Amino acid sequence: MTAITGRIRSVTAPVRAAFARVPRGVYSALGLAAAAIFPLLNVWGVVETAWLRVGVLSLLFVMLSLGLNIVMGETGLLNLGYIAFFAFGAYTTALLSSPKFELRWPFLAVVALSTVIAMIAGFVIGLPTLRLRGDYLAIVTLAFGEIVRLTIINLQDFTNGPNGITGIYPPRLASEGAIASLGDAAWAKWLTVDKPIEYYYLVLVCVVVVAILLSNLKNSRVGRAWNALREDELAAVSTGITAARAKMLSVVLSAGIAGFAGALYAYYSNVISPESFLFMQSVIVVCMVVLGGMGSIPGVILGAIVLQALPQMIREAAGAARSEFEVYRMLIFGVIIVVMVIFRPEGLLPDKLWRSESHEVDPRELEKTRQSLFDLEEGEKDLEV
Amino acid sequence: MSLDHIVTVTVGGLTVGMIYALIALGYTMVYGVLKFINFAHGEVFTIGGYTAAFTLLALGVNDAMSPIVMAGCILLALLAAVIAPMTVGFLIERIAYRPLRGRSRIIPLLSAIGVSIVMQQLIILVFGPTPVSMPALALGSASFSLGGIRIRVLAVVIIVVSALLMIGLTYLVRSTRIGKAMRATSQDMEAAEMMGIDTNKTIAFTFIVGSALAGIGGLLVVMYYGSLKYDAGFLYGLKAFTSAVLGGIGNIPGAVVGALVLGMTETYGVSLDLGFLAWFVLAGLVLGLYIQMVRVPGRRLQHIAEDRRTPEYEKSVKNVYRLAPYFAVKTLLAERTDALLSVSAEHAVRLMCGNAFLAASAAAMFVFGDVRIDTRWQPVIAFVVLMVILMFRPSGILGEAITEKV
Repeated sequence: MTAITGRIRSVTAPVRAAFARVPRGVYSALGLAAAAIFPLLNVWGVVETAWLRVGVLSLLFVMLSLGLNIVMGETGLLNLGYIAFFAFGAYTTALLSSPKFELRWPFLAVVALSTVIAMIAGFVIGLPTLRLRGDYLAIVTLAFGEIVRLTIINLQDFTNGPNGITGIYPPRLASEGAIASLGDAAWAKWLTVDKPIEYYYLVLVCVVVVAILLSNLKNSRVGRAWNALREDELAAVSTGITAARAKMLSVVLSAGIAGFAGALYAYYSNVISPESFLFMQSVIVVCMVVLGGMGSIPGVILGAIVLQALPQMIREAAGAARSEFEVYRMLIFGVIIVVMVIFRPEGLLPDKLWRSESHEVDPRELEKTRQSLFDLEEGEKDLEV
Repeated sequence: MSLDHIVTVTVGGLTVGMIYALIALGYTMVYGVLKFINFAHGEVFTIGGYTAAFTLLALGVNDAMSPIVMAGCILLALLAAVIAPMTVGFLIERIAYRPLRGRSRIIPLLSAIGVSIVMQQLIILVFGPTPVSMPALALGSASFSLGGIRIRVLAVVIIVVSALLMIGLTYLVRSTRIGKAMRATSQDMEAAEMMGIDTNKTIAFTFIVGSALAGIGGLLVVMYYGSLKYDAGFLYGLKAFTSAVLGGIGNIPGAVVGALVLGMTETYGVSLDLGFLAWFVLAGLVLGLYIQMVRVPGRRLQHIAEDRRTPEYEKSVKNVYRLAPYFAVKTLLAERTDALLSVSAEHAVRLMCGNAFLAASAAAMFVFGDVRIDTRWQPVIAFVVLMVILMFRPSGILGEAITEKV
């Protein structure tokens, strides 16, 4: 096994080296350019409008995965009810900007409030669990995700129960009066976001802002504190990191990003119902982070796009029935998680730190190699480890 | 609130609690040994229920059969409901957990959640997405009357069978060689290995035993409720884990106690009105206050007195001891009066918050005395219990029984 992978490595080494020489910024710029050009393909008639929808959803999932990555990748905690925070954002938006209560708050206020409410939810969840061992957070968020969905279904008067809230107004980036005063200026219609392409660019801008924010955060004091906590909590605490506070920050921040994404999702999809916030959705986001690479921002973006777009392609190609397809899709997602975690825990595009630590040498394995090295009578002559 | 209503509800709570206990034991044993949450355990339970129901369906069990044949069929179903989950539990451990041992904490958790998803989808693929239903048997709905109160035979069967299994498990863990190995492995895996214990085998055995218990739980559930859905394991697993935390994770009697408390809370919660339930909360509050204000300070003082056994000191302590409730009140008000009674300020605040929470909820429940909680909210009860226990007493009712090496 190791011999084979070693051989493959030696063959691919020059290619890797060539890629490694390209500065990182180039990849980001290429990716951004591709994302910006993608909807134009639709304008030029190369792809159907359905693909634009896939694009928007992929971007939303990119944002979700980036948010979950803070908790999972950077801090090393597991949040299994992440979609609940997404639901908080989506429902806040739906209630404040729909015919349900005859409200139409301005876009920025709604988004800000959605984010804040999701953060408060994160705080409430984190409060009892973060002082304890890390895995309690996993089970509490797991339960929380389910409880939020049940509550949404049960609070009929407030959320319309299983029917969901319909007719969410499209976001207006400026006040109504301001838009009217601009008259027929060509760009004025862009201030009311109601076409798929406009949504696409709105979400793209938000995702880019979040990604830049997070990559800066990753290299900051806070980010290093998170990584230290992930590696060794005791050591981190003894260097003066307040564990509970740093963890709380990561949980709350990631909840806020989910709330933000939820607000955008509610605006985009126009209709939201509890169906969109199943436990499976949380697992999908977890799977995206694991596939792409925990702790690696480019990796997570890649994971989200691959796992959101690929199933769509396969579905188009196979034309399978929806429910049938769903079963296989989830099966594959589960298998991806297990296989990745066992064979390549650092993900497809690993973060440097994760790569070095996730292949840490098992003491027993080390003992074996040592024996094969020193036990000349039994061991073969190869010293290649 | 009539007596027979209370008896019925209590029996219902015991039944549900026993089933939670059977599943919770698997969680708590695995947690004790490996220190991680086996998310796939709920699915193991579902597999037990499904195999049992399908065995009974395949055997064509019906009421026309003679009792002996039927008993044989049920035994066969039991066997199936033990063997299938055991195999699955063993395989999961072998394939998905063992290669990850010693990796950083989040990795095995992720693997567990992946396995859980895979198994759920496999259940749908193999058995279909519709819930499996038991053949309608007279045994399923049979009941007897006890002083005018009707009790289902199956409820009694569940309680008795679970109790027997738990006694068996206690014997296994306390008094057999393999049980000793399990305890040793859970205390310190490396040291256990040095003592010649095959920890791999012991861990596999732990998984097998836990899975078998969950499988029997599945059989009992499917017989009691008549049907089982493919995702039932999710909620049952969640509640069972809550029970394990409630009783103190890693603690085998704790899991049973926690499960019974949770089962009772759930059943009482949705079947009695709030005004009645408020008395329970009040009783809890009084008990808590007694422990915090009299028992704990008293015991602490006793320890100190035993430490420095001079007559004068004992006498002075005796005086303090009389004042213990007073000091405790001061401690509860977060005024640390005396090093003798010092609880950390944070702890005192937490205790105080717990008491305030209980008092406030009791008051609120008295105010809304005639309201009843809708059954739809039942899962929320378990969640609230979990949050409250983690908030105020994370080590559970009977205390944790896990040792963590730093």
